[in-house]
Amino acid sequence: MSGAKVKMREKKMRNQPVSVQYPSSSVTVQSSPVNGGDTSATGKRKTPHHRGGWVRGHQKDGGGYASEMPKYITAGAFARARAAEVSAMLKAVTKTTGSCHVFGALPKHMRRRAMSHNTKRLPRRLRDVANRMREKSLQAGSKKKKEQAKSKSRKARRRHGNLLLEFNRRQRKNVWLETHIWHAKRFHMVKKWGYCLGVRPTYKCYRPCYRAMSTHCLLQDLSYYCCIELQGEEDKLLASLSQLTNKETGPTFSAALCLSGRRQGSVVVYRAAHYPSQSLGPVTFLWRPRAQGSTHRQLWIWAHPTIKQDLLSELQTVCQCCEAVVPPVVPVVMPPAEMPPAEVALTPQPEPKSGETPEAIQIPRTKRKRSRKDASGPPAKKILGDGTRCPSTPITWKSSSTGIVINDLTMEIVRYRLIGPQSHSVLAETLEAATDIDEINKSQPSSLWWPDHCKDKNKITLHQQQADVFNTLKGIYSSAELPSGTVLGLTVDDPRLTLPTKKGKALPCVQQAQEVDEEKRRELMLRGVPEHCCQSFLWEQSVRDNVTDNKISEQELNRMRSEVLVPGSRLRPTPLQGRVPILLVHQPGKQVGHEMSSWGAGWDLMLPKGWGMAFWVPLVYRGVRIGGLNMSLKHSQNKGAPHFPHDYPDCPAGVRFQDEQEAELMDKFKRRPPAKRTNYIKHGCLAPFRCPWQQLAEEWELITKEGREEREGDSQTQNTTDADTVMEEEMASHLDISVTKPASRFSVLRNQKSLRLLSGWCRPTTSKGQRPCRIRNVTALDSSAVTSFLTAHGMSLVWVRLSLMSKGKPELHAMVCVPLAEDLKLLSKESNGHSPQEPPHKNHFRRRKKGSKKAAASSLSSDKTEGSGSNIPPATESDLTPSAEGPKSTSQPSTAVTFGLWPDPLPSITSHCSRVTLGWVTQGDFSLSAGCGEALGFVSVTGLLNTLLNQPKEHRGTLLLRNPTSLHYRFAKINIEV
Amino acid sequence: MTEPRNPGVSSIAQTAPAHTDSSSSAVEMDPVEYTLRKRLPRKLPKRRNDVYVNMKTDFRAQLARCQKLLEGGGHREICVHGLGLAINRAINIALQLQASSQGALQLAANTSTVELVDDLEPEDPDEAGEPMTRTRNNSAIHIKVFYPDPQ
Repeated sequence: MSGAKVKMREKKMRNQPVSVQYPSSSVTVQSSPVNGGDTSATGKRKTPHHRGGWVRGHQKDGGGYASEMPKYITAGAFARARAAEVSAMLKAVTKTTGSCHVFGALPKHMRRRAMSHNTKRLPRRLRDVANRMREKSLQAGSKKKKEQAKSKSRKARRRHGNLLLEFNRRQRKNVWLETHIWHAKRFHMVKKWGYCLGVRPTYKCYRPCYRAMSTHCLLQDLSYYCCIELQGEEDKLLASLSQLTNKETGPTFSAALCLSGRRQGSVVVYRAAHYPSQSLGPVTFLWRPRAQGSTHRQLWIWAHPTIKQDLLSELQTVCQCCEAVVPPVVPVVMPPAEMPPAEVALTPQPEPKSGETPEAIQIPRTKRKRSRKDASGPPAKKILGDGTRCPSTPITWKSSSTGIVINDLTMEIVRYRLIGPQSHSVLAETLEAATDIDEINKSQPSSLWWPDHCKDKNKITLHQQQADVFNTLKGIYSSAELPSGTVLGLTVDDPRLTLPTKKGKALPCVQQAQEVDEEKRRELMLRGVPEHCCQSFLWEQSVRDNVTDNKISEQELNRMRSEVLVPGSRLRPTPLQGRVPILLVHQPGKQVGHEMSSWGAGWDLMLPKGWGMAFWVPLVYRGVRIGGLNMSLKHSQNKGAPHFPHDYPDCPAGVRFQDEQEAELMDKFKRRPPAKRTNYIKHGCLAPFRCPWQQLAEEWELITKEGREEREGDSQTQNTTDADTVMEEEMASHLDISVTKPASRFSVLRNQKSLRLLSGWCRPTTSKGQRPCRIRNVTALDSSAVTSFLTAHGMSLVWVRLSLMSKGKPELHAMVCVPLAEDLKLLSKESNGHSPQEPPHKNHFRRRKKGSKKAAASSLSSDKTEGSGSNIPPATESDLTPSAEGPKSTSQPSTAVTFGLWPDPLPSITSHCSRVTLGWVTQGDFSLSAGCGEALGFVSVTGLLNTLLNQPKEHRGTLLLRNPTSLHYRFAKINIEV
Repeated sequence: MTEPRNPGVSSIAQTAPAHTDSSSSAVEMDPVEYTLRKRLPRKLPKRRNDVYVNMKTDFRAQLARCQKLLEGGGHREICVHGLGLAINRAINIALQLQASSQGALQLAANTSTVELVDDLEPEDPDEAGEPMTRTRNNSAIHIKVFYPDPQ
């Protein structure tokens, strides 16, 4: 008997009653005289085999039960021993398992659909039982929910104060934007970057949104972008900031026009003195226009929330700002110690009426937490908060040596983006320059900021000039006509006062303007806004706070409206609180490339916090579309610009994003049943869910090194067309080296000059490759130029746009490959629809997986030789992946192998398929603006140059694109746009 | 520029006039190198029977569009606008329309000048080189294609 059987038997016998001993040795001995001396049988019983007691079933050796029946039993002990068994049995009988339904008793032909819901479909004799069971199951189902049952009625829950508390609780982890509730009713929301953001509307609007971007206006809430304010002497600020940027990548913080405050600039920030590696990400910045005779400057840097922490620490080091300034106690009503620890920092805004009254009534009834809150003040409506920092961290840092002050203004300023040629007319219709106040109010002292400002003549004239500029905006037909990045400061009336009764579409009113206006318009188009008009009071903390605190509540406004004599007419005079300083910043559209230039231009609207909804609804009433996160992705895709953090693989945020994306795609893949999954191994796709950029760069580096040595050795007998195959072989033989080599990180090429050079070498054409574009003074593409280029930019990737020349829609992580010479012939023959194909790959892992299973089974049967035999990789006829075998066999613990995916250490990526891989696509879609499939992605600079060098001139820049789920290659034209 | 339906020529002819300019501007622009970036020509609202001709769309497609407007669209007259390089094509379209109508259509051509704006951005992003804006003029043609009034 094997060990396992003994164990099972012991387990079975453990609970057997002691009183009955079936064929144990003692019993047999006892019974033997009674049975009449069947000694031979009893003798056999005594063999060690049956020593353990009773045995199931008939025994072959004729030992009947009768002979082993006990003579007597002790009743009490016998019953007690059975009691446990019986009770277990009873319990099992009464307990219904999941699938035990009453209608199981019915024959199949009598069962009806939905019997379990509608018991009347059952025969009457079963109805009672079914009803009872249904109730029982309902109870069981609702038990969990019952525990956290809502203790209060809906009416109580919806009371204003309680609702606010609930809202505050819900945004402890992920902060809401001011437009959250508006969005939550209409959008699919996700929790991302510490915020709750709308991804896409629940209604279908992909094309309408595109149309809005290209002909009218699309609105987005970008308040989740973080603003960091820097204050200090101009030269010191510039000196410290210059460490973060490099002039090679384009204009920096010190570009003259940006520095004057007339334009918004954008830069890619690197870790201090680490250019060109270790980039942090793109930021936009805005200088406050100079005040007269002062070198003290103020700078806002707008960054994506994912890079904020990195950027902040980097800024602190370059500015030597490490002294945290404890936030002043004044704005905080609640002492921080009394705040719940998870609560995000908030500056409570006392709600004038609605918040306080219900609170006061409810104090006796509230729970511990609530009462504690009440003790410290009325519940604060959380009009701001910040998902990227915790409450105890300081938001201001100061430097004693340089005098620079860094301020974290996250969630202090609301930022809306309007995209589209009509965005300025939407703005012009929604906003109205602030009206002056009458003499009586002017004379009275006031706590509000606007009456104060009205007393100052200079400020009034400035305001009038700004209003003039704003009014000329109306005479412009398209937002793209203005100089890109123009800034306009303004003070406007509360837009709620001019809310139209009906939703309509804002259209430009271009009329034959008077000569003066025409002159002004020309001035605006050519020079932009004059410097002094870029000033806005939004820059001043005190004004911002004043405006936020004195906002008229919706309720109050409605009351005032109801008192107007003619219903629906405008409120006059404008209430004193209704003046808001704003900042309008022009956003350039598509700036690179030759086509669709300035597509997607628009305006950004910056407001003081708290005023978000007051501006949002009036904007929506002007007929704009609202877009979510996915629309900003499409916007940048149509612009041909990399989108953050998707397309910044060299930034920490980009790397994090890629990991998240991989996990997400993997999850989605694994949710499908295995038989329905795409077999990426057969498609020859090594990494369908991520892009191993580092490995790509390293492999190409190696290929060129080998190629150079070879060329020297063979004295350049190498035919160019063979180069690809040679590369493959080289790759195959040198993969192991590349794995072991300690390599430097790859970087993304952002040097403008080099990009321009590269762009010229790619033979730029119009989008579908019909017409060549003219290139200026380009050095000829030859091997010496390439070598010198590569020494400067080895290990780097370059951002490219690929437009498909025929049909096809590129997808995420599609491969960019080098066409063979035969493929190019196919192209010139005009054979329509004939594109090269990848031969299907073999899945070696499948057999191996089966083998390992078998091995596992056979090892149980202690057949060791067979098991170890099947662990050996199957005969390697892998003509496609000769190099893969080495790392593969080592990576074969095969525990985490997912069917259809390559296990982790990937073989050579470049030479895995029949066409050499250059890079991958990070955004691909059918482009509605170009009318063909367009892909944006990165390719290896080394690989690209090698390819271009080997291609004949007329086909230069023609590459192949293959989706991960397809074997078809499609021809595409590469364009590098600077 | 003072004409009411001035070429709001979408993205016509941008490539065309620019080429002559970029070569000439290269001469005057040094010592600091500049990148030339052309803004779109000024757009104006267009009516349904305005046709702006460009060099990107296929010629036959544009011709077919005009024919459709005249025959199916029920317009008695259409205006064909062309700017710069597209002037040739606009004329061509108008003449083709007339020829295919067997003399039923008449043409009336007007020319005008359109002011275009160029941005010059310094390639070397130094504090010294300031971006410039300049205007240049380009010719445009507006051809009215119409059925003469039956009298």
